[in-house]
Amino acid sequence: MLEAIIGLIAGMSSVFLAYYLAALGHAIVEKSGVLNLAIDGVFVLSVAVAYAQAVYTRNNLLISILTAMIVAAIFGMLLAFFVTKFPISHGATGLSMMFLGYGLASLVGLPARNIQGSIEGLEVGYTIDVHSPVWVIVYIAIILIGLGALFLINKTKIGAAIRAAGEDPAAAEALGVNVLMVRLFAGALGFALIGLGGAIFELSYVQVWSEGTGIGHGWLAFAVSLSAGRNPILLILSSSVFAGLVKYMTAIQAMYNIPQDLAKMLPFVAAILAMVIFMATPLRRRLAPPKSLGKIYFREEKERSEKYKKNCFVLDSSFFSEVDLS
Amino acid sequence: MEFPISMVIVRRVKPLPYWIVPILALVVGLVISMMILYVMSGGQTTPYDVLLSIYYGFTNLGLLAKTFALLVIVGIGLLVSFKGAIWNIGGEGQFYMGVLLAAWVALFTGFAFNELIGKTTMILMALLAGAFWALLAALPRAYLNIDEVPVTLMMNYIAYYIIDYIIMARWRERQYGYYRTETIPETTKFQLIEGTTLSIELLLLMITIFVLVWLMFKYTSLGLRIRVLSSNPNLLRSSGISVHLTILMALTISGMIIGMAGAAYLGSVSHNLSYPIEEKTPGYGYAGILVAWLSMLELIGVPIAAYIIGALHTAGINIQIAGAGGAAVVNVFIGSILLTYAVLITISEYKIRIIVKKR
Repeated sequence: MLEAIIGLIAGMSSVFLAYYLAALGHAIVEKSGVLNLAIDGVFVLSVAVAYAQAVYTRNNLLISILTAMIVAAIFGMLLAFFVTKFPISHGATGLSMMFLGYGLASLVGLPARNIQGSIEGLEVGYTIDVHSPVWVIVYIAIILIGLGALFLINKTKIGAAIRAAGEDPAAAEALGVNVLMVRLFAGALGFALIGLGGAIFELSYVQVWSEGTGIGHGWLAFAVSLSAGRNPILLILSSSVFAGLVKYMTAIQAMYNIPQDLAKMLPFVAAILAMVIFMATPLRRRLAPPKSLGKIYFREEKERSEKYKKNCFVLDSSFFSEVDLS
Repeated sequence: MEFPISMVIVRRVKPLPYWIVPILALVVGLVISMMILYVMSGGQTTPYDVLLSIYYGFTNLGLLAKTFALLVIVGIGLLVSFKGAIWNIGGEGQFYMGVLLAAWVALFTGFAFNELIGKTTMILMALLAGAFWALLAALPRAYLNIDEVPVTLMMNYIAYYIIDYIIMARWRERQYGYYRTETIPETTKFQLIEGTTLSIELLLLMITIFVLVWLMFKYTSLGLRIRVLSSNPNLLRSSGISVHLTILMALTISGMIIGMAGAAYLGSVSHNLSYPIEEKTPGYGYAGILVAWLSMLELIGVPIAAYIIGALHTAGINIQIAGAGGAAVVNVFIGSILLTYAVLITISEYKIRIIVKKR
């Protein structure tokens, strides 16, 4: 009995790690006040990038994971830059990045799959052996990462700046925090973690790729993060629940005789229920989202003086207003 | 050390005419997608190829007609909720719930014996199905203030899997063993207009919905309430109108309209449901978001936006035949145009200056 339970816990370590990292990254991004609806697209993209790079480098895991992280981080910095520098909707920007992520993922993955098909015996990924102690290391790593993230957010200067940018960016700016820089940092770090999660999801869990691999799992990470109130320690709990659901889908399905397609639905139903439970109970107040999450933060700037302009080359978009369009 | 390049954003004295940003976003977004396709295909898909298929998409009106009409309906549906600043991203799920119930009417109820009764019931049931699916997301939004974007999105996946299950476990056709349902009876197939992909019923449905929604926003208090919801919900509250109810109505009407598009899709385009639905979908629920956004939330802008997006949709599918990869191209189009649009919307009210310090 005990052995069976340990076997179950060991078996889900890779999915657990993937979800935890993606949800933690998402939490960090949102702590800085950037509403992250790009998560699913970037997750799917990093899945494809990790897979393609693993095919091209003949299963060099380190390079594959790093590439996925870098690509994701670039997306994160773009998102943070756009919503902080321009007075635009976080939701629209995030969603459009999601579509871009889906599209790019297919363009990245398809050629790599053709190459994998043409090489005999090339398999990508690394399976965590449940009989070796690697899975214990994974669990210890999750706890250490959680503690590290908690420390980063609550005890360090940069963490305080991230929280300030999420709660009240205008006040933070007045106190000398460079909100743009802080959000760029949080975006890069958070999305690198999402990318890492995507890469681990692909390389140690799915290990094959077809168009659409990973779609929807980014949203699950989103729900995992929301239902734990973006707290790095509570996230361990909620991501373990979802990891269990996803990993043991087939087993649950066989045990209770649930058809395959309905079983696939379960994590999404659970995700919506988690959000409802979170928002309908006192948890909502205890683990409140950052006050300025998703709000447009924009400092209107004054026209620079003529003297200042003389010392600069000014590239201006105002030619649209000069041309008489009517 | 100061960074030598900086960007300053200043408010305009007079905002730009509203149509500049969508057009600019389209052009810039297309240029970006062409570059992406060129680079990612290793130079195989040249901008020339892309332009050629876009030209094909814009000019092949017969092929475009069905996509256009369906996108107009879905776009209007999304517009109703977007006007109230309720971001319904679940068009795809509401659309397919409509398809599902319309298929049920056509295949398993007795209503198919008569053309008129059969088709009317299909559309009515699809309407109810879309409304119900939207209501499921609207209730938590209205009463618990749960962000509707992730909820409606996840409801899309739930809808996909429910339909997958029903196709495989209950409705699968037995004769040839394909992973799909039977074709709907001839009496429930919509009447195609000669030489096009458009059916008369779809055309009528589109015009009816357009007029009804126009009337709703022009003359009814509900239309006004939805518009006020986006700009000033407190005003609603202080004038004694239920904000909850307005949110419910906005999302439910939105789902209703999109559900009807589902019935029209089944009747005039697909005629059956094939497994797995998430791979077979043309993605009108998602493309509709782009239509509603590009219309600048003006009803009259919806057909224009639907024409453009419909053409790009056709073009994207055309390119994927040329080998650039799956429905990916459509997503690249949608993503880069939307992103450009989301960012460029700034310039309608602000000037952007890029300042490079002289050394």
